[in-house]
Amino acid sequence: MNATEIPLKEPSVSAAAGDAEQLERAYIDASTRVPVLMFYTSAMAWLILGTLLAGFVSFKLHSPDLFSDISFLTWGRVRPAHMNVMVYGWASMAGMGTAIWLMARLCRTVLRYPLLLVAGAGFWNLGVLLGVGGILLGDSTGYQWLEFPHYAAIILFVAYTLVVSWAVLMFRYRRGEQIYITQWYLLGAFLWFPWLYAAGQLMLFVVPVQGVLQSAVGWWYANNLLFLWFGAIGLGTAYYMIPKVIGRPVYSYHLATIGFWTYALFSSWTGMQRLVDGPFPAWMITASIAATILTMIPVATVGLNHHMTMQGYFPLMRYSPTLRFTVFGAMSYTIFSVIGVLISLRSVARYVNFTQASIAYSHLGLYAFFTMVIFGSMYYIVPRLVGREWRYASLIKLHFWASAYGIGLMTLMLLAGGFLQGANMENPSLVFSESTETVLPYLRGRSLSGILLAASHFIFAYHFGLMLLGLGRTSTVPTFLNPVEAETSGGH
Amino acid sequence: MNDEPKSPAPKAFGVGQGMDYGELADVQQVHAAVQREKREPRVGAEPLSIWLIAIYGLAVFFGGAYLGRYSGNFSSGGLDPMGAPPPAKKAAAGPAGGEQAAELSPHDRGKKIFAANCQTCHQANGLGVPSQYPPLAGSEFTTGGSRRPAMIVLKGLQGPVKVKGQQYGAAVMQPWDKTLTDQKIADVLTYERSDWGNSASPVIAEQITALRKELANHPESFTEPDILAVPADAELPGGPPAGGAPPKPGEAAKPGEPPKPRG
Repeated sequence: MNATEIPLKEPSVSAAAGDAEQLERAYIDASTRVPVLMFYTSAMAWLILGTLLAGFVSFKLHSPDLFSDISFLTWGRVRPAHMNVMVYGWASMAGMGTAIWLMARLCRTVLRYPLLLVAGAGFWNLGVLLGVGGILLGDSTGYQWLEFPHYAAIILFVAYTLVVSWAVLMFRYRRGEQIYITQWYLLGAFLWFPWLYAAGQLMLFVVPVQGVLQSAVGWWYANNLLFLWFGAIGLGTAYYMIPKVIGRPVYSYHLATIGFWTYALFSSWTGMQRLVDGPFPAWMITASIAATILTMIPVATVGLNHHMTMQGYFPLMRYSPTLRFTVFGAMSYTIFSVIGVLISLRSVARYVNFTQASIAYSHLGLYAFFTMVIFGSMYYIVPRLVGREWRYASLIKLHFWASAYGIGLMTLMLLAGGFLQGANMENPSLVFSESTETVLPYLRGRSLSGILLAASHFIFAYHFGLMLLGLGRTSTVPTFLNPVEAETSGGH
Repeated sequence: MNDEPKSPAPKAFGVGQGMDYGELADVQQVHAAVQREKREPRVGAEPLSIWLIAIYGLAVFFGGAYLGRYSGNFSSGGLDPMGAPPPAKKAAAGPAGGEQAAELSPHDRGKKIFAANCQTCHQANGLGVPSQYPPLAGSEFTTGGSRRPAMIVLKGLQGPVKVKGQQYGAAVMQPWDKTLTDQKIADVLTYERSDWGNSASPVIAEQITALRKELANHPESFTEPDILAVPADAELPGGPPAGGAPPKPGEAAKPGEPPKPRG
């Protein structure tokens, strides 16, 4: 099959009344509407709040006096608030929204027990709200990505239990004999997250482990949240969206299997490579570095699988917003992983550990990969939920380029600044303050990239709001990024 | 609810969910997005490429080799990734005296101390601030014998003073004998006397210890006449044997003193 053979289905010629598959999809989509939009809308609100907090964080690094008189806007509170709003408010909620829609579609059954999800979204929002409020009031626990005070953590866990029981129930009701790759990843993510979260909470707060081991647990949690929760949802979504939009089977089942199981096996060993030269038995850190090197196996496999699926269809990225965001995210996943290996090697880590470079790494994973994939899936799913097409192609284009340039600039600035900072900290003839001063221009550059990202989020939120209010286009043709010549556009 | 399906098919899926798709009433037209969709993704079955297997092999080999090399012998107490037994490493680091600071030369240690304590007034370039803080770079007090600068650093200086032909004296220099150890004072003097184009002899901690004892009963800061009373080329006794200025025969280094490695 090649690209030109995929005609846009003529909408005026309605499908034969007996086209059961289409009607089935239509009913499934309609049934997912309330819960998925609830997750998406909450996620958008958190995204905007997180973006504002990110602005404070970024500017405070080069203008530390900014709002320093207001206790809840001090660095030590705004930074964890920003991270937790983005991780639990935006990324987790948007990811769950996409996962719910995908689960319903791939289980080929209308969404059952929507109240579980509605309650889950409500409790999750409450948990994040209490957690962020707690952090701003000074209740933070001080462990990266686990800063939420215990009362918020418990509510999050309850909310999560509701969502995951829904997922398991849905899986029981599935129709059809095949379980598609995306479902492996989604079920994996739904079951790995409670393991991660419970292990982190238990070992740090309920029965705390001793001394420095706490930071080992903390980093294991943070790294694996990135890999096994966000990574799994992101990869699963890409495995659906890419073949769906271009209308071609995924390249290879074997590659998919190897990629999934090696990912599950090696990812859970990582985390401690972020502590190179810390006061730990060397083998603990080395084991994590070796596991990080071994994650190259799933990364190469999944990357090849996606690439071969896309082979010959790359021109479609010119038209389809979903494909453009998703492929950008999938490519970023490879870059993120390769950089992750490079900066974990002891000889490099001694320079970049505990510098801005590790912040670049987190943003690559959570934004350039995960958030971009989720944006792509939202461009696909939302029109199916509200019955309208996206209103402005120009806004989608602006959103994409502001996001792509923003995250690219941010990564470059923080990586380069981090390397310089690390090299200066290693240099005995420089005092510590010089190593931080040399990073200042890079931090200003990062603030600039943050402005781009903020612009892209405001644009997307506005566009999303229009869709929610039913102000999208009523059209039978999807909103393509560029005018489509002939019928080469893919089934968006 | 204006979406009563006209085809019999929906019954098969059994749910009459309210679908408010705006003004479009016909279920066949409503699902334009669904209609134009490609079918649900399927999976091909292409075989593994030989190159991918090579990458797997490479990753396993490299990961394993890394684990073997930096495992620290899997000992619970080994912080050293190379797994060298801790005592052997200490022995290699140098004589008993070379502890944590052993890697830095006295000059580099002095630079850090200077940056933390002296730089505010005398500036990083050692030029001071005109009419307020005298320069150290090229100053006759800094670059002459080691006794004068050591006295000033230990006990401080106040009142008018003339350096490099310029008059200073608005500011008071505090005494440092309570704040800095002998080693630190020696290091910072070594740094000041050998940087910014200065090239006077280094100072070692023992010299400062001796001077500190000698000045123990001196209660207050020195003034310019006190300093000028000391000959400009007066060296502290017990200077390092390999120092820039040879020690006077009468004041030879103490016999038991180990030669300090110079940076």
